[in-house]
Amino acid sequence: MSKLFFDHLLVLDEVEVEIKRSASSREEREELWGLVDDIVNPKVFETILNKLPREHHEEFVEIFHKCPYDEEVIFGYLKAKTGQNLEEELRKELEGIGADILKELRPQDEVTAETKVSNK
Amino acid sequence: MAHDPARTSNLISEGKIDSEFLRNKLKLKSSEARQSLYKKYPHVEKFFADKGLDLGKIREHSAKIITTGALTGTLLFSPPMVAKNVPALANIIKNLSDFEGAQPGLAQQEALLVSLRQVLPQKVGPLDRAQEKTLEQVFRETIGVDTKATLEGEHLNSTYGYIGAEQHLARYPGDRMAVHPKTPQSDEGMAPGLGAWGYVPADKEKWYAVVQTLYLPDWAKRQPYLRDWYKYRKVLIVNTINGNAVVADIADAGPAAWTGKHFGGSPEVMNYLGGPRYIKGPVIVFFVDDPKNQVPLGPVDYNKVEALGVKMTQA
Repeated sequence: MSKLFFDHLLVLDEVEVEIKRSASSREEREELWGLVDDIVNPKVFETILNKLPREHHEEFVEIFHKCPYDEEVIFGYLKAKTGQNLEEELRKELEGIGADILKELRPQDEVTAETKVSNK
Repeated sequence: MAHDPARTSNLISEGKIDSEFLRNKLKLKSSEARQSLYKKYPHVEKFFADKGLDLGKIREHSAKIITTGALTGTLLFSPPMVAKNVPALANIIKNLSDFEGAQPGLAQQEALLVSLRQVLPQKVGPLDRAQEKTLEQVFRETIGVDTKATLEGEHLNSTYGYIGAEQHLARYPGDRMAVHPKTPQSDEGMAPGLGAWGYVPADKEKWYAVVQTLYLPDWAKRQPYLRDWYKYRKVLIVNTINGNAVVADIADAGPAAWTGKHFGGSPEVMNYLGGPRYIKGPVIVFFVDDPKNQVPLGPVDYNKVEALGVKMTQA
């Protein structure tokens, strides 16, 4: 299984719709899916590192390396080191990333309409 | 971000974004995201390099760790919960027999649900080998279908995860919804692209499943073997909330991990699993062990849901 500790916070269904609409083959679709991962992953790390004191950065990477799938271990560690619920913060950040990607891919009026619907 | 507005509007006005345009947009954005991270935290780039971690391949890294851990039995997800909550296989099967003995006939689906509650972790997620072995036996005893989580050495990316609604797949060039069979309500329509193996034969399209072959740790290395092996491979999908079960064949790859889903089901599959408005829900997916190709695609009517008073769920 491929699972990352923040997968449960990601719901980018609308981005997937756009990719499905445009990709003409399985390979193309999977390449585009991978590019979305390449956008999301650095953003997740940046959001976390913004909150995590510098002296814990190496340890955090170490823990991630050992159990990249384990949300309980990783979010537990982050809570212990920052005293904050980074899971919730990350959820909001990821919603923003989804909207940001859509903004790049769609006409502005269409994005606004979608965002309004999904925020209800 | 700089881009050519004329080209953008031209592409969008066609009602479909050109994939080259999309690729360029996403590539640029991913490059910006990576640069932003490493510019701000250059020491983290070094930590990643020291660990041999590539941000673009962390899903692959995760898959390798999970697969290795599950195979050697050293990795249990939330170990205390698993160890505490999963009774021995013998106990579960005995309970199953007692249940069936006490209420013959109508009890199969209820017995299945009781067993699922005993075996499954509280949160949807990876299962270890012991849990999968137990479920194989439970499915054989209750649903009457031989299944394997690992068949001929192959194991799905997930066996317990969320399934999402997919659209119909084209069966031949020019296929369209006007001539395509539909579900009675809330039909999802036709997918814009083809299935992972191209046009799907009519007898395989109605009850089809989508699995995440792209995230298999050795998917790229073991081609074309894996591609052929998964093509129209039969799977048993069990809705863990209501016990509804359907046999489907794998006809497409996906969904992307960042959708929060792990499998997909055709409109007919989803309709049977949870009703006309069922779009997402937890399921178990195992391979059907059917060397003689005798298990038909479609619902496994091993019990009547309504007779048990089990409510359909809608996500």
